[in-house]
Amino acid sequence: MGHTPDYDVVVVGGGFFGCSLAIHFKEELGLRPVVLEREADLLQRASYVNQARVHNGYHYPRSLLTALRCRVNFPRFVRDYPECVVSDFKKYYGIGRLFSKVTAEQFRRFIMRVGSPIEPAAPDIAGLFNPDLVEEVFAVTEYAFDPVILKDITRARLDAAGVEVRFETEAVKGEGTAEGHLAVTTLDAGGERRITATSVQNCTYAGLNRLLSRSGLPNIYLKHELTEMALVKMPPELEGLSVTMMCGPFFSFMPFPPLGLYTLSHVRYTPHCEWYDHTNGAASDPYAYFDAVEKRSFGAHMIRDASRYIPALAGCSQVDSLWEVKTVLPRSEVDDSRPVLYVTDWGLPNLTCLMGGKIDNIYDIIGFETERYQKTGVV
Amino acid sequence: MAHADVFVSVVAALHNDADIVSGFIDDTLDVLKREYENYELVLVDDGSTDETVAIVSEALASHECIRLIVLSRRFGRESALSAGLDSVIGDYIVVIEPDRDPVSLVPEIVEKAREGVGVVFGVRKNRRGDSLLKRMASGVFYWYFRRVLKIGLTRNSTDYRVLSRQALNAMIRMKDSLRYLRTFSLYIGYGSESFEYEFEHRRARPRNKSLGESVRIGISMIVASSTHPLRSVSLLALVLSLGSVAIAAYVLLVRFLAQDVAPGWATQSLHRSVMFFFLFLILSVLCEYVGRLLAEVRDRPLYHVVEERNSSVMIADEDRKNVVTDSQER
Repeated sequence: MGHTPDYDVVVVGGGFFGCSLAIHFKEELGLRPVVLEREADLLQRASYVNQARVHNGYHYPRSLLTALRCRVNFPRFVRDYPECVVSDFKKYYGIGRLFSKVTAEQFRRFIMRVGSPIEPAAPDIAGLFNPDLVEEVFAVTEYAFDPVILKDITRARLDAAGVEVRFETEAVKGEGTAEGHLAVTTLDAGGERRITATSVQNCTYAGLNRLLSRSGLPNIYLKHELTEMALVKMPPELEGLSVTMMCGPFFSFMPFPPLGLYTLSHVRYTPHCEWYDHTNGAASDPYAYFDAVEKRSFGAHMIRDASRYIPALAGCSQVDSLWEVKTVLPRSEVDDSRPVLYVTDWGLPNLTCLMGGKIDNIYDIIGFETERYQKTGVV
Repeated sequence: MAHADVFVSVVAALHNDADIVSGFIDDTLDVLKREYENYELVLVDDGSTDETVAIVSEALASHECIRLIVLSRRFGRESALSAGLDSVIGDYIVVIEPDRDPVSLVPEIVEKAREGVGVVFGVRKNRRGDSLLKRMASGVFYWYFRRVLKIGLTRNSTDYRVLSRQALNAMIRMKDSLRYLRTFSLYIGYGSESFEYEFEHRRARPRNKSLGESVRIGISMIVASSTHPLRSVSLLALVLSLGSVAIAAYVLLVRFLAQDVAPGWATQSLHRSVMFFFLFLILSVLCEYVGRLLAEVRDRPLYHVVEERNSSVMIADEDRKNVVTDSQER
């Protein structure tokens, strides 16, 4: 190997963020990226099994900043990915009368301040809710996206840009080289290889610390949760609707386009267990744990609780569940904000770790990367 | 053993119960795990000042299907139970007093409720441990309820009970600010059945309610379930005022017909004092109801919740190490 590294940037993780960044690096910045993906396909984990919600600020009445970022990114996402945006359903937010951390009036004022559309729901919709438990129902504008179509679009864009993607290839560890580059040891069916690059982007979401700890670097303090969303068939009177109850131990259901079903999630029952990656010590392997753990569905619990608020929900039937590891920054637990994690030079120069909880966070991340590239000449 | 295909929720209010709560959680979960496919244990902390919340929080990390609702201050047992009942999701809901109600009876009484009874409530076999004065007071209380108010409150009934979802939903719809499970579950109907049991105290020295507290609750329950005392004093007031009219007529008669009317100091004083006695009695009853009206009209929330915490069983350290070692071998 000479003084020129194999690539300009190695992107670890072929989720939506990793792929979008690689495309950005190639097309906008003219760099030579490579994407390493452990699965046989793109967008298989968190990018697929999330609630497929394109946030428009309604979800975070306790974090104005998060809500505002959603409000800014929502139209961009809808404009950039029109093929995968699903908007043929009506979206409602109900405010709980008991146990809610916001009141209806407070929620309405907050959303008006953020600038997203909000109006009282029509009487026939409000009539679906139990008035003893629901203070008020608002009609809002929020869409879902189809993660399978998003995957196809992303794949087509990667191909069009000519970005190299290595499937079934795991990044085992990274280290600095004598030439001042970074080397990544990869593992695929053919065994271990070593590739070099100017910089490395760690976009492995729940797996962030796994790469770090095997590289002998300190962990990022993260919280992992094993989460479940029930996949349900809706009774006829609720077809074409999506409801989120705010803001406490409540539930949310919305269309899951790839399967023609609805996802039902519940603040109380969706997280099954949690564990932490502390700064020092070995990192967990969330995906190995995920594969090993016995998964006992709480779908019946979710339906039972949700049907107290919307009696018609008792008529929905659970078909299956979507299980995934959800990773959040422990600091966001307090105020429910969902900041994007973006740390550069973590332990090694030009090693960037990034993570976001929402699909449209990509615009924030690309913004950071562009800024960094303009300043330093590397990403 | 086959699990019963029914969702059972168990609700308990806690107040400074750090000494017994672990034992209660273990015993309850043993029974629930053994008997039911789906269950939850909802604990409501009613402003404890001891380690109760910390102990339950620890249990959340090691036991599944527990929920802890922490109230912002002490609201009283009835309100705390309301907070729990407002959020349970079970088909059958068991209300239990952690210190004294035997958990082992849960399967039996839930089975009774499953036969279609709206409310299955507990009755103490005896009042052992209560003072003579307290027993007498309770005798008067139940006599008044049954004979005068015609409300079939079973003697020595306790709060230990199972409610069907239907019965609970009816109860939740009642917005009274004073909520007594015993009278509420009678009021809603849906059929009731009783079961006898003896207290099994977890504490060596159980915390018994003082006579004063029991009397306060008794009066409150009467006022909450009936306007009988108000009716009887208004009737009394009517009779007395008629009496006053009669006396006035008599006085006038004597004044005009009799020749030598001595100054009636004795009669007047007697009359006045009797009237004042009843006047104040009437006032006192009125005050009770006015106070209660005020509470209802204010329409304040029954309780405020600080937070809800749920079981989130962490992975044991051994598991974590296994996972890491295992994957390093690849």
